[in-house]
Amino acid sequence: MKAVGARLPRYDGIEHVTGRTTYVDDVRVPGTLWAKALRSPLHSATMSGLDVSPAEAMPGVHAVITAADVPLLEYGHLSALGIPADEPLLAKDEVRYKGQPIAIVAAEDEETAMAAVDAIEVDFDERPPLFDIRKAFDADAPKVHPWGNWYPHFEGEMDRRQIRKGSIDEAFDRADVIVQGVYRPAAIEHVPLETQVSLAVPEANGRLTVYSCTQALYFSMGVIAAHLQVPLNKLKVVGGTVGGGFGGKVDTASETMCALLAQKSGRPVKWRWTREEEFLCSSTRAPWHMEIADAVTKDGWILGRKMLTLHDSGAYARFSPYGLTKHSFHHTGAYTIPNLSFDGFVIFTNRVPTTAMRGFGVTSVSFATETHMSRVANVLGLDPYEVRLKNANRIGDTSPNRIVYTDPSTVSVVKALAGGMEVELAPEYAAMTRDPREGDLLPEHLVSQMADPEAH
Amino acid sequence: MKLTVNGIAHDVVSAPLATLLDVLREDLGITSPKAGCEQGGCGACTVLVDGEPQRACLTPAASLEGLEVTTVEGLGAPESLSPLQQAFTHHYAAQCGFCTSGMMLAAEGYLKRGGTDDREAIQEALAGHVCRCTGYVKIIDAVAAAARGDSFDLTVTAPSAGMTNLGGV
Repeated sequence: MKAVGARLPRYDGIEHVTGRTTYVDDVRVPGTLWAKALRSPLHSATMSGLDVSPAEAMPGVHAVITAADVPLLEYGHLSALGIPADEPLLAKDEVRYKGQPIAIVAAEDEETAMAAVDAIEVDFDERPPLFDIRKAFDADAPKVHPWGNWYPHFEGEMDRRQIRKGSIDEAFDRADVIVQGVYRPAAIEHVPLETQVSLAVPEANGRLTVYSCTQALYFSMGVIAAHLQVPLNKLKVVGGTVGGGFGGKVDTASETMCALLAQKSGRPVKWRWTREEEFLCSSTRAPWHMEIADAVTKDGWILGRKMLTLHDSGAYARFSPYGLTKHSFHHTGAYTIPNLSFDGFVIFTNRVPTTAMRGFGVTSVSFATETHMSRVANVLGLDPYEVRLKNANRIGDTSPNRIVYTDPSTVSVVKALAGGMEVELAPEYAAMTRDPREGDLLPEHLVSQMADPEAH
Repeated sequence: MKLTVNGIAHDVVSAPLATLLDVLREDLGITSPKAGCEQGGCGACTVLVDGEPQRACLTPAASLEGLEVTTVEGLGAPESLSPLQQAFTHHYAAQCGFCTSGMMLAAEGYLKRGGTDDREAIQEALAGHVCRCTGYVKIIDAVAAAARGDSFDLTVTAPSAGMTNLGGV
């Protein structure tokens, strides 16, 4: 425990301030080629007549790859868990978001690579794009995928993440007031200072060394090996130095295509995205659509919550089912609500695929829940701090997925917020602790919520 | 052309409009200036040209004949850190580190102009430098500490009640 409470130097602090930290873009390998991608200029289209031969014929161009060059075209980050993949490494026949890679070129320098990309021929038949998650949810919406716009592979091949707890009908029958709200946080780009970058180097022993800015090295290793259809011992993936990620570098965005170009050209290949590509084509935090209806009593108890969540996955699933699952587990926020009916959907649109970002799936529901708690207080004419404290998680309460809280912090956090805002709490709230509920704070509707100590 | 970087003179042969950033990184292998946006927007490529901060990504190398370029490698090595490097280390002003060299050279230019520990003046001097990790507070703490001439102990210290990670000591 020497580290606790001590001032420790960062392990990489001196390297950072002397310019010696080696990020992927700083790795120097002689003979490295530059990669550039032909990306879809349209949000949604069918594609035909892809012809890369004019690019291949250009002097200084060493390799061009398309969907036809990828040994296993579709492989998802969650494939290892048995979840079917839906995203091709390079677009084939269709594009589903603007910026989707269609072909990648490796050339002597950046300018040649850009000129080669411009020389590639392809025809598009544009379709009307679908951006609004709520419209995409409707049965008569245009379909992003052949099977529709709902992700269909939750456990048991369910089309939604569903939580049922207690008796929601009883809660709504007994409520004095139903308080409803709709919450729609927008997409956010991570904007790491280091754009997406990777470097693949063919080694004399037949292996590929891949330098990656990934936040999830072993995910990337599995994904590259699967697309290339090579055993893991043919890859050496070097990572660990990331110029900002925030969740945006969990997806394997560039490494696999670099590796394929290096294989095909026999040369080291680097692909560094421009800032424009990073903004327009990299994954973002998802937009969400959340509808909440709370059954509440006049004195501020929340008896039950019905919730519908739509998670905008963009064009492909990637990690979205995982994010929505976390979201569902946290959908009561920092509060205990005994009766729940939650339905969450991962919805496809023609936006860039969305991914993790700081509190994947949870920040959206925190925003919705906190806004809704204040709305409940406003509707009832009660103090927003006191409504929060009344319904706060206490030791022994259970989460929506029935995890017993042993170390909840809601009470201390809300009291600190009240203190910071110089709000004076009524004596019974000022004295409140997170200890297990009893007396007035264990009303009949919360009895069944308490964990049975024998059962855990 | 002749280009002097961190006191070392180089003969550089480059395309007429090659940027200083490309020449430093690709020709001279000096990689501390970063290609964050290549549009002058993020500040990660900033170097000092005759002591003044400049965006290397927007500066044609050919315009620097006879001028002195300083990158963060020129401020000090691990065994001989400059006061500003010590301040950044002590105040945990670098997290991922990608914006750090540009930040430090903007700060070095500010201190060279006689900048003080006034936080608003430091903010003004660092405007246009984007950091996505630290939230800027620790960076401003570090520059203010260097401006004051604080001394720093960069070794491990014992647990202390006065220690805080919420904005520096």
